[in-house]
Amino acid sequence: MLLHAQLLLYIFTVPKQLMNRKGFLRTFVSTSAALFLANKSWAFNNEETGFCPVPCYLKAGDTVGITCPAGNVDLLKIQSCIDALKRWGLNVKLGKTVGTQWQRFAGTDDERLSDFQEMLNDESIHAIIFGKGGYGSMRIIDKINWDSFRKKPKWLVGYSDLTIVHAHIHANMRIPTIHGHMSTGFSADPTDLSSVTLQQALFGEKIEYKISSFPTNRKGQASGILVGGNLSLLHAASGSKSDISTGGKILFIEDVSEYKYNIDRMMMSLKRSGKLENLKGLIVGGFTATKENFEEPFNVPVEEIILEKVKEYNYPVCFHFPAGHMKENRALKFGVAYDFQVGDTEVVLNEKLHISSLNDFRAIANN
Amino acid sequence: MAVIPPYLNKGDTIGIVCPAGFMPYEKAETCINVLQTWGYRVKVGKTLGNQHYYFSGTDKERLEDLQEMLDDDNIKAILFGRGGYGVGRIIDDINFKKFKKKPKWLIGYSDITVLHSHIYSRYKVASIHSPMAAAFNEGEYNNEYVQSLRKALKGVKAKYTCDIHQYNNRGTATGELVGGNLSLLANLVGTPSDINTKGKILFMEDIGEYIYNVDRMLYQLRRSGKFNSLAGLIIGGFTDMKDTTIPFGTDVYDAINNIVRDYNFPVCFNFPVSHSKENYALKVGVEYTLTVKNKKVTLQEL
Repeated sequence: MLLHAQLLLYIFTVPKQLMNRKGFLRTFVSTSAALFLANKSWAFNNEETGFCPVPCYLKAGDTVGITCPAGNVDLLKIQSCIDALKRWGLNVKLGKTVGTQWQRFAGTDDERLSDFQEMLNDESIHAIIFGKGGYGSMRIIDKINWDSFRKKPKWLVGYSDLTIVHAHIHANMRIPTIHGHMSTGFSADPTDLSSVTLQQALFGEKIEYKISSFPTNRKGQASGILVGGNLSLLHAASGSKSDISTGGKILFIEDVSEYKYNIDRMMMSLKRSGKLENLKGLIVGGFTATKENFEEPFNVPVEEIILEKVKEYNYPVCFHFPAGHMKENRALKFGVAYDFQVGDTEVVLNEKLHISSLNDFRAIANN
Repeated sequence: MAVIPPYLNKGDTIGIVCPAGFMPYEKAETCINVLQTWGYRVKVGKTLGNQHYYFSGTDKERLEDLQEMLDDDNIKAILFGRGGYGVGRIIDDINFKKFKKKPKWLIGYSDITVLHSHIYSRYKVASIHSPMAAAFNEGEYNNEYVQSLRKALKGVKAKYTCDIHQYNNRGTATGELVGGNLSLLANLVGTPSDINTKGKILFMEDIGEYIYNVDRMLYQLRRSGKFNSLAGLIIGGFTDMKDTTIPFGTDVYDAINNIVRDYNFPVCFNFPVSHSKENYALKVGVEYTLTVKNKKVTLQEL
C-alpha cells in the first residue's frame, strides 16, 4: 500500500469531520490511492528508511550540487558556501557554470540549461543550491525536462531570479522548494541565520519562526500553503506556464532596487489579475534599496503601497519578514502548509503538519 | 475592425485630462493654443495643473475628471496631458457605458497604453497612440509627428515609411494594430486589459529601462503567447537605455532581435514610435499593412 506523505501536506484542506473520524486512516489511504493515480508527481521516494517525504531531507554524506542558471558566479565567492556545506557533512558537486561567464550570465543559455538539466537528472545529487540570481532563469526554464525531477524530486534552493523556478514547479508539479540564500550569499559566520535556517530546512527540522510585529501589520491568523518570491519575477511569470494561482494560499513577496512607482504598478497588476483576492495571508519580506525618481518622487512608504492594494480583504499581513535581499534571509519552504499568526507584538510562522519521519506520519494519522 | 470613433470637424471640442502624473498647466498651454489654431475648441479638465504627491490628483479626482470627459457628448476626443504612472490605478473604476455607445478618440502614449489596450480588448474601440500635450512645446507642433496627429484626427489615412534596419525580417502583414509601451504591455498581462495579439500587428517602444529588463519583458510577452500567431511586429524606439555594472553584453536591439528573429512574421526595427520626438500617430485597433522589404519599410493604414 503506497503512502503519499506529500498528500499530508495538503491535509488541512480535508474537512475537519474527516480528520476526527476513526475511519480517517482508511479514508486517507483510499483517497491517497485515488490521488496517486490522478497525479503521479506525488509519487513517494522509498529510501532505505522506507519513508521519505517529497523531496527527501538531507543527511550526512548526501551531495549538494551548485549550478548557475542566471548571473555569472566567481568560484572565490562561493567558498563560504562550500565550507558550510562540508561542515554540515555534505559533499559538494560544482556544475560547469560555476566560474563560467557569457555576457552577464554564467554561460550561454544552452550551457546554463544543460548544467541545470544534468544536476536535475543526476540521482547522486540530493539537493541543488543555485549559484546566484541576477537575471537569466526565465530564458531557459521552458526547455527544462522535469521528468527525472518529478520521479525523484530534490530540494532546490534559491531566491530572486530563481523565483521563476519556485513558481514554475509550484504551478506545474506542486513539489516543495526552498526560498533561501544561494551560493554567493553565504557568510563565513556559521551562526548567521540565513545559513542556520537553510541547514535546518534541508535537514528536515520543522520551520518555526517568531519575529517582532510591526505597527503596520494587519492582525489575524490563517493557515495555508506558502508560495511566492520576488515580486518582479512573480509579475514576469504572469500569463505563462510558470504563473502561480494564489487562491487559498499564503503569499510571500520581496524585492530590491525597484522604483516605488513600479512597486505600486506591479502590485496593481497582481491585484487586477486576481492574485491578492483570495489569499489566506500576505508576508512581505524585504523591499530593500527602493528607488525614487528625484524629479518626481512617489513619496509613499512601501507598506502603504502594499496595504492599499489589500485593504478590502481581511487576511493577516506582516511586513519586514526577514527574507529577501538582505543579510538575514531565512529559509522558507514553498509548497508546504504553515500556521501564520500576526499579533500585536509577535508574528509566528510555523510549518504545519511537518513530516520528516515515519513516526511523524503515524502521530498525525493516529491523532 | 474595431469601432472607429467619428473623426473631428472644425469647431469640435477636444478635452485635455491628466489621468496619471502631475503636469503643470504651462506645459500644456502651447498645445491648447495650437489645437485652437487647428480649428478645435478645447476643454481643460481639473487634473491639468492639479497635484497630489506624484499624481495629477487623487485616484478619485483623476477618475472623475476622465469620467466626465468620457461621458460628455460635446467632447469628441480626449488628448491626454502626459503619461507617467497612474491610469492602471483607476482603469477598473471607469464606467465605459456611455463611451461604448458614443465612442470618441482617446489620444496619448506611454502610461496611456493601459487605456488603448483596455478599450480595444474590452470594447473594440479604436484609439490614437501619438504625441501628447508636451510634444507641442518649443515649436515642435510643426514637426511631422505632431502633424501626423492632426491628420489622424481629420481622418486622413496614414502611410508611413521608415529606414531599413539590418535586423528587419522581410515580409508583408495585414492586421489590426495593437501595442504601445512595452513596460505597460508586460504589466497588463493577466489583467482585464490584456490584449490578444492573434492576427495583429504589434508595436512597442520604451524608455529608460535596463536592457536586461527589456529582455525579461520580451520573454514575458513570448511566454504569455503574445508572439504566437502574430501577423507582424514593429519595434519602435528604445531610448535612454540603462545597463547594469556587469553589462548585459549586447545593445537593446540585439537583445530584442535575439528573441524575435526565429519567427516567420515580418519585423521592422527602428520605426518612429517612441518617447522621443519621433512618434507617429498610430491608430490602435485599425487595420494596417506592414511591408518590410530590402530597401523600404511602409506602414499603410487601410
